[in-house]
This record gives sequence, C-alpha cells and structure tokens, in this order.
Amino acid sequence: MSNSDMTRADSAPTGRVQRHKLIDRIYHWLMALCVLILIVSAFLPIFGWKFAWLDLHWTTGVVLTVAVLFHIIRALFWQNIWAMFIEIRDLQAGKPGKYTAAQKLYHLGVSTLVLAAIGTGLLMLRKIDTPLWKRDPYWFDDSGWGVIYAIHGFAAMALVTMIMIHIYFALRPDEWRLTRSMFRGWITSKEFRDHHDPKRWQAKEEA
Amino acid sequence: MQLFRHANSIYGGSDVIIGASYDLLIWFVAAGAAFILFHAVFKAVTGTGGRTSH
Repeated sequence: MSNSDMTRADSAPTGRVQRHKLIDRIYHWLMALCVLILIVSAFLPIFGWKFAWLDLHWTTGVVLTVAVLFHIIRALFWQNIWAMFIEIRDLQAGKPGKYTAAQKLYHLGVSTLVLAAIGTGLLMLRKIDTPLWKRDPYWFDDSGWGVIYAIHGFAAMALVTMIMIHIYFALRPDEWRLTRSMFRGWITSKEFRDHHDPKRWQAKEEA
Repeated sequence: MQLFRHANSIYGGSDVIIGASYDLLIWFVAAGAAFILFHAVFKAVTGTGGRTSH
C-alpha cells in the first residue's frame, strides 16, 4: 500500500475499506454451504434420520474440493498466502493487520481439518460407484480403510466444533463488522482505523 | 466411551478399526459450547464485548 492509500483510508470520515473481494465472498459462502450440507448429510443418518444421503454427500464433497483448489490457487498466485500464517509481531502488543493471530490460527485449524476431510473423502470415493468409475474397495485392506474413515470422521466432528465457534464470533456484536464485510465486502474507514494497523494491512478505500 | 468403531476383519476375523466412534460427536459439540460459554462470560465480565461504534 502506498502512503497515499493509507492516508486516504485513514482520513476519510465516511469512507469504506474493502476487506473481501466478491470472488472471495462467493468462495466463503459456497464453502459454508458445502460444509453445512456435508455435515448434515453425514450425521443425520447416523442419528436415525434416514434419507438417500450418499449421492448428496459425495457430489457436495467434489464441489467443495474444486472450490478449495480454486482458493488455494488464488491464494498462491493472486494473494499473499503468507498473510495467513502467524508471525511474531502478531503475538506482540498493537493493532493487527488484516487478520488477528486468533483468526489466523482458526484459519490454519479449519484448513487442516478440511484438507484432511477432502483427502480422505477423495480416497473414499473409490468405494462407491459413480458415473465416472466403478467401485474398487480393494485399494486398501480393511485396516487401511479404517484409518482413512477414522481420519475423515474425526475431521468432520472437529469441524462441527469449529463451525460452532465461527458462527458464535460471526454473531457477536463486537465482531459484526467482520460479518458484514463477508456479506458486503467492506468495513468503514473508522473501523479500519480503530481495529487495524494501516502499516500492516494494505487497504484500499472504496468510493 | 470409545475413540474408534471396530469390526472383525473380512480377511480373517481379527479386530480392526473401521472408523471414528460417533459417540464422540457429543463431546465435540460440548467442547464448542464450552468455548463459547467461557468466551461469552469472559467478555461480559471484562466488559470488552460491546458493539463497536461505526
């Protein structure tokens, strides 16, 4: 961010600072929808609500996989992926950049769990018939499949915990600006000044 | 409470893990609820949880 950008965002009394681009908001809500469908289609049948869950589950999983791949490629080549890793200065006093240490830690946790669920889920696709291939349950022996299913299950259950915490923070009044920014894309210039270090977040003001 | 679901191996009857135990789900939910409760109480007690001004 240039000094002029910082000055504009910092001084504008009613200006807005873009926090999430439309493509990133679409990704977030698509991922949220996919994870919700995956959790519901995974756990409701286990607890007695019987319906044809398998096709819904695996097709949603494939959609999530494509979305996450898109996100990773975008983060690698069009965004600064290192911005999501915790730095020493995140642990020091002072305002954060775009993300706090806690938000980065949460992102790391969810990323790990989702990638574990996707990786094991893709392997589990070999055990079902799809329009593209016939099932082959002999890729692994039964103890190998057991480990894969266990990782998939633990990741899914841990994601339930993470989703609960995520929704809680999204609904908290003191975090509402962040929730709003995931709908509309922006925070106000005052929120930017109050909560972020302009030297650490290269923000651009919206018209 | 068990961490894993077990079954007899189709190759010889020995006990093998077939996945995570879904009995643990309630504990994952409880962990989330406990975190939320603790955080909400902490914010309320310390008075740092109000709406930010716009």
